[in-house]
Amino acid sequence: MRSIFYLLDVAPYGCEKAYGVLNAAAVSIKMEVTIGLYADGVYLALAGQDSMALGLPNLSDTIYAYPEIRIIAHEPSLAKRGLMNQDLIESVELVDEDEFIKQIHIADCIIEA
Amino acid sequence: MNTLTIILTDGPYISQYAEMAYKIASEALKLKVFQVNIFLYLDAVHVPRSGQKPSLFADTGRLFQELAERGAVVRACVRCAAARGYSVEEDGICSDYLQGIKITSLYDLAEMLKDSDRVISLSR
Repeated sequence: MRSIFYLLDVAPYGCEKAYGVLNAAAVSIKMEVTIGLYADGVYLALAGQDSMALGLPNLSDTIYAYPEIRIIAHEPSLAKRGLMNQDLIESVELVDEDEFIKQIHIADCIIEA
Repeated sequence: MNTLTIILTDGPYISQYAEMAYKIASEALKLKVFQVNIFLYLDAVHVPRSGQKPSLFADTGRLFQELAERGAVVRACVRCAAARGYSVEEDGICSDYLQGIKITSLYDLAEMLKDSDRVISLSR
């Protein structure tokens, strides 16, 4: 495999899945790695996350720490959740439905945590 | 020989994925054209625990042990395992696990993926 698409469709702090996807992506950076945020997964794209009260690591720190990981967010998912006017992490790319699916198709494999 | 890697994230009985992974891996091994890797991630690290006695289902630990005996490389994520109370002894061996299945670094997942011709991710 030369490229991996990690699909995240759950919110970042409700369970271990987002943490798991980010860790798996971080160790895969010798390949082309994309994380696709879909459905509730788009909440990971929000800037200014503060997880102190949850006692959990701030997952957006991992995004900043690994610029090699390309992160795309499904724009319709953001729109449906009223997040289009929110500040997003600068490096996150917004893509429409067609582009999101295209990125899944061109990756050598897709992994969902 | 081609390499197939299967990634599991569910625990043994919350879904059918462990059993599906077993069937896929078993067929791949039978064809003798695939090296089979299985990476147990997140709750899937419970799959190889010894002493399981499910009343309704096949013991997935035993199924995966059989795969290891037939040549599959079955590895569990060390961070996920430690978080769930499984400790690593020498050479990735865990006394709570069935023989042939080891705990390893997440970096081994990246190596498995890099060397794979096919990847199957089973997750809810």
